[in-house]
Amino acid sequence: MFNQIIEFIRKIGAASLEIIQEMGRMFLFLWDVVRSIVTPPFRWTNLLKQIHFIGIRSLFVIALTAIFAGMVLALQGYYTLSRFGSEALLGPAVALSIIRELGPVLSGLMVTGRAGSALTAELGIMRIREQGDALDVMGIPPLKYLVTPRVEAGLLIMPLLTVIFDVIGILGGYLVAVRLLGMSGGTYFGGIESAVEMRDIVTGLIKSVSFGLIVTWVCTYKGYYTRRGAEGVSQSTTSAVVMSSVLILVCDYFITSIML
Amino acid sequence: MTEQAIYMDPALARGTTLSLGRQLVANGCVTESQLDRALRKQNNDHPAAGNNEHLVGRTLVDLGYISQSALLDCLFSQFSREREAYRADAGETPIIRLEQVVKILDGRRVLDAIDIAIPAKRVTAIIGMSGGGKSVILKHMVGLMRPTEGEVRVGEHLLGALSPRQLAKVRGRFSFLFQGGALFDSLNVYDNVAFPLREKTDWSESVIHDRVMRCLEEVNLFGMERKFPDELSGGMMKRAALARALVTDPEILLLDEPTAGLDPIIENAIHYLICDTYMRTRYTMVVISHAVPEIFRWCHHVIALHKGKVLFSGPSTEIGQSRNPVIRQFISGDIDGPIQVI
Repeated sequence: MFNQIIEFIRKIGAASLEIIQEMGRMFLFLWDVVRSIVTPPFRWTNLLKQIHFIGIRSLFVIALTAIFAGMVLALQGYYTLSRFGSEALLGPAVALSIIRELGPVLSGLMVTGRAGSALTAELGIMRIREQGDALDVMGIPPLKYLVTPRVEAGLLIMPLLTVIFDVIGILGGYLVAVRLLGMSGGTYFGGIESAVEMRDIVTGLIKSVSFGLIVTWVCTYKGYYTRRGAEGVSQSTTSAVVMSSVLILVCDYFITSIML
Repeated sequence: MTEQAIYMDPALARGTTLSLGRQLVANGCVTESQLDRALRKQNNDHPAAGNNEHLVGRTLVDLGYISQSALLDCLFSQFSREREAYRADAGETPIIRLEQVVKILDGRRVLDAIDIAIPAKRVTAIIGMSGGGKSVILKHMVGLMRPTEGEVRVGEHLLGALSPRQLAKVRGRFSFLFQGGALFDSLNVYDNVAFPLREKTDWSESVIHDRVMRCLEEVNLFGMERKFPDELSGGMMKRAALARALVTDPEILLLDEPTAGLDPIIENAIHYLICDTYMRTRYTMVVISHAVPEIFRWCHHVIALHKGKVLFSGPSTEIGQSRNPVIRQFISGDIDGPIQVI
């Protein structure tokens, strides 16, 4: 019995140490990436390729998610607000929900699912096929060449994707509120204009930049340190998507609580 | 590298020996006048390529002065003479040294206080069982792995003491042919071969084009430049990776199982290609190979590894006389012996 308790404590200790080590490795990785962002040479072509991959190719899924998110918010919001006779507040309710919360969070989650998983898989396959080592032997730092442009692209493109999400989401709400439920367009947009402040937009943008960093940081880290062949790539990809998604939600809570 | 230097015959540039064309004449494979005519034709056909010895060989074949197989035999017999002569030179200064190197990976002692010396401007083969640490040794030589204990020296440089910038400079002396080729999947053969030049030099695209096409021709991949790695056979993949390794004109070429997974004909062709490359360039080459005893014909020096220890290090002409039972079993390929696999 005593031995079992000792073994149980030992396992908890080992797991805790492993988690602390992993966190340490992740932060050192991030530090190296940040240093490499400000160190020449700057590979603009690589950055443009990653902006295209992470940003442009995510536009369709972002637009689709945004329009339905806006529509369902308007639908649910209308029936809730109508109970209190406050239908006129539907526009601000939809806009504030999207601009402050749903825009950055859903954009982050969509980019994680579409681009983040692909980043991890691509880097993981490059790692197990020794392509990173090949870069190293050529005197090209693999972190600078493979990871930095992806993180830069994430930081640059996420705010833009979020703004696009916000606009399309509000239009989706308009479709339901005005075209389906017969609300006046002036009431819908007028309420938004008077209720939404610059601080709300800035909060959404700060979240989007943070989520862009989380997605690209976690996904490139998991891909960059992939081991054990095809199974390792699969594990890294799953772990990257889960960890990014959870971190986005955790980070969202803390940013919201600070910015409120 | 500068643009002026790129078409210089590497062997002559290093001041090591006669150019390949002159060696062919010296060995009686072709006559002086045939070589001159071939050089003139080549300069007309490929003015940008200069005195490229591979093209001389190809031109000699095209002009009917020598058959392809006779040309390769001629190269091989020249190489064999050098291999025999190497016995006397075995004590020459090494270019790479591993001194008392220990490497522990996942709790396993992969390298156990080994001492290795790689002779300069020679072909060295490393043989041993799978999982015996051969690839780990190559990765130590180029600084991709650091020893748990011990030191790795390249020339005068102690790799462990170098800054990242200095290490990158030392790595510039190397090219590495990885076991799987390590070609970039998103780039075609041409772009893969051009990649190190585009990244590491400021050469114009036309100069890079000439250089890349010449390397592809040297490995017989002319016409395959638009194919992507997943469209290539195993042999083509290895040759494309070899072209990428050669394109920077390295001083030291590390080849990790260049013939693994290939059929005997392609394996033989790759061996000829390595020999051809060596005879033209006089690079220091380190080859990991399971093609035993065939590989002994294609190298000057052999290092045999077993369980993280060096069992043999010496001229390839002497390994056949080794009394070590592990080496005897490895050469003969017998199931019975000190190495129990079943």
